[in-house]
Amino acid sequence: MAIQNSFKNPPLSAKIGMVTLSVFIFFAIFAPVIAPYGEAESIGKTWASPSSEFLLGTDNIGRDMLSRIMFGARMTLGVATACTLLSFLIGITMGLLAAVAGKILDQILSRFVDLMLSIPILVFALMILSMFGSSLFTLIITIGVLDSFRVFRLARSVAVNIVVTEFVEVARLRGEGLWWIMTREVLPNALPPMIAEFGLRFCFNFLFVAGLSFLGLGIQPPFADWGGMVRENGRAIAFGIPAPLWPAIAIGLTTISVNMIVDWILSLNARPSGASAEM
Amino acid sequence: MFRLIITRVFLGFATLFAVTLLIFAATEILPGDVASAVLGQGATPDTLAAFRIELGLDRPAYVRYLEWLTNALQGDLGVAMTNKREVLDTITPRLYNTLFLAGYAAAIAVPIAIILGITAAINEGKWIDRAANIVTLGAISVPEFFIAYILILVFATNLGWFPSLSTVYSDMGFWQKIHVVALPALTLTMLVMAHMLRMTRASVLAIMSQPYIEMAFLKGLPRKRVILHHALPNAAAPIISVVALNLAYLIVGVVVIEVVFVYPGVGQYMVDGVSKRDLPVIQACALVFGSAFVLLNTIADILAILLNPRLRHPR
Amino acid sequence: MEDFSKKLKDAELLATRSGGSRRDFMQLAIMTGLSVSAASAMFSKAEAAETPKKGGTFRIGMEGGSATDSLDPRTYADSVMIAASLAVYDSMIEFDNAGNPTGALLESWEARPGAVEWIFNVRQGIKFSNGKTLDADDVLYSIGIHRGEDTKSPAKGILEQIIDIKAVTPSQISITLSSGNADFPVILGDYHLIVVPNGFTDWENPVGTGAYNLASFEPGVRLVFENRGDYWIEGRANFDRVELLNIQDVAARTAALQSGQVDAVNRLDARTVDLMTGNNALSIVRTKGTGNRFCFVSRVTSPGFENKDLRLALKWGIDREKIINSVYSGYAVPGNDHTLDAFNPYYNTNMPQRAYDPDKAAYHFKKSGLSGEITLSTSEGAWGSAVDCAQLYQESMSKAGITLNVKKESADGYWDNVWLKEPFCAVYWGRRLSADQTFTQVYGSGSDWNDSDWRVPAFDRLVEEARVELDEVKRKEQYFECQEMIAEDGGMVCFAITDYLDGYSSKVKGVQPHARYDLDDNRIASKAWFA
Repeated sequence: MAIQNSFKNPPLSAKIGMVTLSVFIFFAIFAPVIAPYGEAESIGKTWASPSSEFLLGTDNIGRDMLSRIMFGARMTLGVATACTLLSFLIGITMGLLAAVAGKILDQILSRFVDLMLSIPILVFALMILSMFGSSLFTLIITIGVLDSFRVFRLARSVAVNIVVTEFVEVARLRGEGLWWIMTREVLPNALPPMIAEFGLRFCFNFLFVAGLSFLGLGIQPPFADWGGMVRENGRAIAFGIPAPLWPAIAIGLTTISVNMIVDWILSLNARPSGASAEM
Repeated sequence: MFRLIITRVFLGFATLFAVTLLIFAATEILPGDVASAVLGQGATPDTLAAFRIELGLDRPAYVRYLEWLTNALQGDLGVAMTNKREVLDTITPRLYNTLFLAGYAAAIAVPIAIILGITAAINEGKWIDRAANIVTLGAISVPEFFIAYILILVFATNLGWFPSLSTVYSDMGFWQKIHVVALPALTLTMLVMAHMLRMTRASVLAIMSQPYIEMAFLKGLPRKRVILHHALPNAAAPIISVVALNLAYLIVGVVVIEVVFVYPGVGQYMVDGVSKRDLPVIQACALVFGSAFVLLNTIADILAILLNPRLRHPR
Repeated sequence: MEDFSKKLKDAELLATRSGGSRRDFMQLAIMTGLSVSAASAMFSKAEAAETPKKGGTFRIGMEGGSATDSLDPRTYADSVMIAASLAVYDSMIEFDNAGNPTGALLESWEARPGAVEWIFNVRQGIKFSNGKTLDADDVLYSIGIHRGEDTKSPAKGILEQIIDIKAVTPSQISITLSSGNADFPVILGDYHLIVVPNGFTDWENPVGTGAYNLASFEPGVRLVFENRGDYWIEGRANFDRVELLNIQDVAARTAALQSGQVDAVNRLDARTVDLMTGNNALSIVRTKGTGNRFCFVSRVTSPGFENKDLRLALKWGIDREKIINSVYSGYAVPGNDHTLDAFNPYYNTNMPQRAYDPDKAAYHFKKSGLSGEITLSTSEGAWGSAVDCAQLYQESMSKAGITLNVKKESADGYWDNVWLKEPFCAVYWGRRLSADQTFTQVYGSGSDWNDSDWRVPAFDRLVEEARVELDEVKRKEQYFECQEMIAEDGGMVCFAITDYLDGYSSKVKGVQPHARYDLDDNRIASKAWFA
């Protein structure tokens, strides 16, 4: 009962989150139609203030900020989704496997991840770059793999605690297979922290993508992405020019929206029965 | 437990060894070498060859690696190829600075994040929960340098409370350092809070659905007591993992903060080393970073076992 | 042009407000049409009126250092070590503010006719910081470390023309060149060539004749210098102590200046410098059009780019004015597709400045018979705003109907992987102090750094002739022709030459724009003083 009600009536915060996210997705799809200017068009002065002509002002080379944010939604949301899905696919699979499949495999996977985490990100990214060259695909793989090590750490530590519970042992005694235990017993119980993590990693990746851009990895000009826009215009804030605030606000709104939706999903999970839901 | 620690220490060293091997291979693979990086536009085939002979780069790679390894095992990290300075002498004060900043930020961030996370879980859906979430999420929506610039603009340029340059020198006293490093520490605090806070909140809430928690509620225990005594210990594993990851980030991931606040830490040393392909420098930094991960992950795993009775006494 | 007159007004305002018009004098003089040498003559008069004061700790925040820096002059590559070096050591030849070579430790010289044989006189009575007196052997040694089979010095190339060098007396050396070079003293002014005692190798503990002794050195962090008390140039070495801080980030550098934590900074950000002109506690010194030359260079031997019409399309299709206004806020002058600047006495003033003309670009592109995309490789590793410039280029080209594909390359290893390798890429060149050096190093057939791969025997001959030509009128004609050849036929789109922008606290006096480097030729530590 409680669950169904909640699904039909998400709390206000989740509703706001969904509406905001929908607006950005709408931007992403219809940017060419609704954006007042082109993505690459340099039409104004550098860092012009907001005006009726440029609602959010212009960027570091005189492009309309609003248009860039609308177009930027495409790359930003697209790339972050791809990276995050990839990292969770790898991270959770390996993490659960390490927890379920016994000590030796756990030790091998865990120490391998220690090793990979120990390699400075800069060196890691440079290696990938020199081996595979720079393309959007390389970028997604790089971030997906780098993140998956961190997801692994979390997934494994959550799963290890679940593996020793009675219901998993019962399942083992029943003679269930490895995959069955992983997906049917461990995964559902490990989900809440992983969902919370997903909400954050997704948003971290907006900035991570931009952070690697000096290596030429990733989004090529003149395409916009929000993290890159904050980066390109960021210096202006030190002088009190608000230009980088707009893409930062876009990232902030998305981050908060996604996590409000995550909170709602978590709260559904947290109270499958009536007792604590009434508190 | 003792056996576990011994095993992990042993495997830790094995990991570090593998790190040095991998870093060496990676540096060899990367285009360019220390000679071409230092000489830059002034490089000609003649001067490059002369420089390489001077540095011994004309010898086979495995010879150079073994030489480095032999020396490193005896505690000699070698001299930097670029400026002939002892790597150990350079990295020691920088490592101290890095740990100082990481410790400073962690001392503020970890307790606040966890307490706020628990408070948020206790007051789920109430204003304090919302406020804590929105503020911390807002902070991670901007790149680290952005927060740094805003803090500099407000607290250094406008108010003048703290210096914008956080360079520390060996002749500074402890409290002077605390004052000078305040802004980078505050920036880092804001960066790592969200992750830890949200994981604490999510883990505590997840445990709330377990039958024994419902049992505790049914016994009529107050919500606060249930959370602190029954839920929290069982929710600890993911929290510890995330705290460990964030502590590691504070040690290895703060290059940008070091650059903006001109803080002489290991991160900047490594970036300069990588861009000049200065192998002994890269190796030394990688060892530091590798040790941080290995140590923190080991501690996290051991803590997780200690906190969970089922893991403590495996059947 | 409106912007231009506005900037001029700003400069005048700035000059009157900061008390002495000295600071921006150079800039104003250039703008109002005074010749450079006349301007610098007036400078020295104005300067003489003000006597330097002694004392104080001078803190400089600089970009251009690294944790891998060393005091060995054979490793210098960027500003911090150049400035540090000039505080501790002295150069053989200095340059006045207009860029003409003047005597330093080599106090005077003369060339035999033909400019093959040179005699240099070593300044007498100069003491190193270890007490040793300077003589000819010290100079020979200091040049010698950059020559020979097994030197790694980047200065090796420019010294290769020396075939014989010896001490005639303890105070005189003679140098014989492989062929005549009327600008040879300029070569000896190169920043790598500083003077150390004969046989010196301990670079960690430098011994020089400079104004200051090194007190401490943490590479990539800070250098501290203390006044040695007996510097040989009167009116210099005015501070008790100098601290040189590495501040890589431009916003951090600016904030440090604004909050009074440093007294001087280099490389202000052109886009935000106008915001600081309102601050009375600060002053900006602008050296107009002597900074880096920003170029997109095509290799004329690469497929497609061997077509001269395509190269002309590339040159007509770039909107220099737009780039200069958007990216450099007007703090740059347009380049005319070669790397010589208007401060050089041989700068071709007859050649019209190439402007943006999409029709001409389209015409030449059509005439070239080529079609499809042109790929331009660029990177933040080339220079900070190279990607911005490339994006504006992309847009101006599209208006001419030409598709420019901007490829962002890795900043790490850019000079190894992209420059001299990709057919069309971003590059910047620093100022070379003589026309000969510019033409030989950037466009000469024998140069390893001829990045356009434009190797034209007729051009090389012309440069060689000019090198030994002592008739100024004729030499000028020859250099004019060189510039025309490069701009018309070469592979380089040189679109902007930036200004140097230094920031100072207004109590810092004695700073002038200098034709070679910013921060008064990176000699700010020895030249400036506190009011």
